[in-house]
Amino acid sequence: MPVLTDEVANSDKFRIEENIHAEELPEGLTGALTVMEMNDAPIVFSIRSDLNLEGVGCTSWMIVTEKEAGAVQVNADGSLEKISGPFSLSDAQKVRTFPTVGSSFLQLRIHGLYFDVIRYSNAKRETFGRALQQFERVLDGKAFQSDAISRPSDLVCDKCGLPLPGRGVMCARCNRDHGILFRALEMMRPYFGLLVVLLGMMLAGVGLDLVPPLLTRMLVDKVLVPHQNVTWLPYILIGLMAASALRNVLSVFIGRLSSSISTRITRELREKLQQKLVSLSVDYYNRHSVGSLMSRVLWDVDYFQGFVSQVSQGFLLNLMLVIGIGFALFSMNWKLALLVIVPLPFVAIGTIYFWKYIHPIYYRVSDSQSKMSQLLSGLLSGIRLVKSFGQEEREHQRFEKSAGYMRDNRNLLDRSIATFNPIMSFLFGLGGLIIWYEGGHLVLTDQMSLGTLMAFFAYVGMFYGPVSALSSFSNWMTGFLSAGQRIFDVLDANVSVSESPEAVPLARIEGSIEFRDVVFGYDPYVPILKGVTFSIKPGQFVGIVGKSGSGKTTLVNLICRFYDAQQGEVLIDGINIKNLKQEDLHRDVALVLQDPFLFSATIAENIAYGRPESNMMQIMDAAKAANAHNFISKRASAYDTRLGEQGSGLSGGERQRVSIARALLCDPRILILDEATSSVDTESEQEIQKALSVLCKGRTTIAIAHRLSTLKNADWIYVVDEGRIAESGTHDDLMAQEGIYHRLVRIQTELTRLETEG
Amino acid sequence: MSVAKTSRTLFASGVTRLHPENARIYEGDSGLLYCVVDEKTLYRGVFAVRLFPIRHPENFISLNYTNDEDKDREIGVIENLEEFSEETQALLSRKLAHHYYEQRISRIYRVKLDQDMLFFDAETQRGRESFIVPWRHDRAEEYDEHGKALLDVRDNRYIIPNVFDLPDRDRQELTRYIYW
Repeated sequence: MPVLTDEVANSDKFRIEENIHAEELPEGLTGALTVMEMNDAPIVFSIRSDLNLEGVGCTSWMIVTEKEAGAVQVNADGSLEKISGPFSLSDAQKVRTFPTVGSSFLQLRIHGLYFDVIRYSNAKRETFGRALQQFERVLDGKAFQSDAISRPSDLVCDKCGLPLPGRGVMCARCNRDHGILFRALEMMRPYFGLLVVLLGMMLAGVGLDLVPPLLTRMLVDKVLVPHQNVTWLPYILIGLMAASALRNVLSVFIGRLSSSISTRITRELREKLQQKLVSLSVDYYNRHSVGSLMSRVLWDVDYFQGFVSQVSQGFLLNLMLVIGIGFALFSMNWKLALLVIVPLPFVAIGTIYFWKYIHPIYYRVSDSQSKMSQLLSGLLSGIRLVKSFGQEEREHQRFEKSAGYMRDNRNLLDRSIATFNPIMSFLFGLGGLIIWYEGGHLVLTDQMSLGTLMAFFAYVGMFYGPVSALSSFSNWMTGFLSAGQRIFDVLDANVSVSESPEAVPLARIEGSIEFRDVVFGYDPYVPILKGVTFSIKPGQFVGIVGKSGSGKTTLVNLICRFYDAQQGEVLIDGINIKNLKQEDLHRDVALVLQDPFLFSATIAENIAYGRPESNMMQIMDAAKAANAHNFISKRASAYDTRLGEQGSGLSGGERQRVSIARALLCDPRILILDEATSSVDTESEQEIQKALSVLCKGRTTIAIAHRLSTLKNADWIYVVDEGRIAESGTHDDLMAQEGIYHRLVRIQTELTRLETEG
Repeated sequence: MSVAKTSRTLFASGVTRLHPENARIYEGDSGLLYCVVDEKTLYRGVFAVRLFPIRHPENFISLNYTNDEDKDREIGVIENLEEFSEETQALLSRKLAHHYYEQRISRIYRVKLDQDMLFFDAETQRGRESFIVPWRHDRAEEYDEHGKALLDVRDNRYIIPNVFDLPDRDRQELTRYIYW
């Protein structure tokens, strides 16, 4: 049987070039046009699917000629059967993909109705995503782009063929430069000198561990049994005491040194994780919960704390002891020493099996920790909501369930270890019994002295101890590897919005913005923005209007470069945003959101967040301009007032004005107001509007607003609908057009009238 | 399965109830689904969606159409499909099948973990097949009380209706990795 992973990974269902053919029909489809009753026109492209319209798995093909489109399925006997069409392209108004659960349809809109042309499973989404674009081009009378076929798949590693879990995600197989253990060891490189000292002390410690049994042997064989050399007794005892004292002194230094190295490594790792988490794109946070990430920084890193001590004092020390003592045992009596290692193969086999068994259990434990973190973090963040709905008991039950899940998993882990360790001890005990039997026999037949047997036994005890510790080390190592994997997952995560090496520094952004045929979707197969083109001049005040889900905030996300466009370009001052230094971009672009986020810090620190070097007067100037100074100064601690989490302690309007002061202090060239006043009362709104009128002066301002009255004075308004710019103009232009904007204004006026009457 | 009947809508703007007295559903030209409401309004190119696909797959069916502005709109909800004629029930069941493409797993022969991907060798209604599921929580969703919906790397859905219905060995193979 072929290797399962490679068999699946290399399946041709993931290869684009096998599934789209341009200009000519692939082998086996000759005669398809006749079967489909299509006119003999030049073929533009054909695309293979894995389903027929009924959802039965089979090979089917959609064929698009310059005049028509339709689909055939290939029957088991190789014959062709029409499944849709032919549809005349001159009648087709639009082509779309219609996603359903687990599959999608490619449909043509003809005379206002959508007709299914072909159906495909989700395995073919990328291929059909490309085909859709080409089909749209055909309907627009444009040429087929051959790169739709030649461009490698975004979702398959082009090196090893392993499917990638997302666009832009690096292949885990090809980019895993080293194993987790090796990478952890690599982190110790800066401490190489200290590690050498540590190893030297451990070697000395092993040497000292070997001394007492030798002295004991001398005591028994040379002093106690023959009743001779009585004067040696105090010297031997002093030797035993000195060896023990030195060993313990060494243990103190070894413990201190390894702790010093571990804490430094742990701190560095936490810092690296924090830096990485900050550098990751917004998209990463859409896919990973904050609780799970916190769990990695807080709990998983702790495994690295124990890494140095486990590797040095656990693994290496025990390994040295096994080698050292093994050498001593073999030099004393090699035949008896061979019996000592009889249990070892059983221990090794048991350990390997146990490792395989316990590995997923460690994941369960970590999963339950992570889930509990998520639950607790959500609960505490939303504590007001919980209380207001009186759901304390329900939350208690949820937490109880989560705690129970953690208890079960921890219990399973502990029970497994508690079973494994005694079994190993029993095996070692059996080894001891064999030595008793054979060693006792040797002593009784005068082939070995009693002192040698006692020393041998002392060494055997010292031998099995480290061997047992080495098998238990595998448990710790399993936990460490699973924690390490989660940590390196974060450290290796692809920064999907990365800075280009050719990024241009820009001393000051002027503020012109241009979108050129931009296509973008959070799910790459479901575009939110569908070919958006518009431009904004420096200093213009531009309103963006549209219904919820029309793509307004997505436009803003692209300007801030939280995401990159999948097609087309976003330009700032004529430069593609991908080629701008992110530092310059974020310095000159400020965002005021509907629900402003404030940190748990003083009001002054929050205002100065973007410009921490600002002096107190500048902070107050910004607050004054944002109409925030008055309410701040009335507080007992004024600007030194420490806010709670997410700015608790301030009203919604006050929080918004602090956030405006924060934006104002940064003196941005581009200001984005995303529903900045929609969640506050009318009085607060007036205050905020006053603040905003100051803030907007001399800057490019993009305002997204539901309350269209706030955009009356905008220099230009773009109306976004279904991911496209549907209308644009001044307020008066758009009202005169009597289109979407006019309708929205009318609805809002009506609502306001009803509210007033109510 | 009995479904509680709601005598009135909770809000005036609640969902429109469709029943045999106010809705006529039939197959029109080119195999498209048609729906006439109150013998006044004809909707063409209708598509059906289950609103409770796991707990009430045969009830609470939403009928939708695409309007002249190219936007999908709901016509209304069929609370109890059994109220309609057998012919209509069969027609809607057929159209509903169009909306769902899921594989039901009956056996799991092997699960192999490699590079944070779970490589499954399993039996579905299509036969024995292999697929890859990223080893992440969001790729194995809860499905009813004791089931799982696995989403492979391409979002294909593989359903295990009840994990406890799997043979012991298969269940162990699964829960070694999908334990949440």
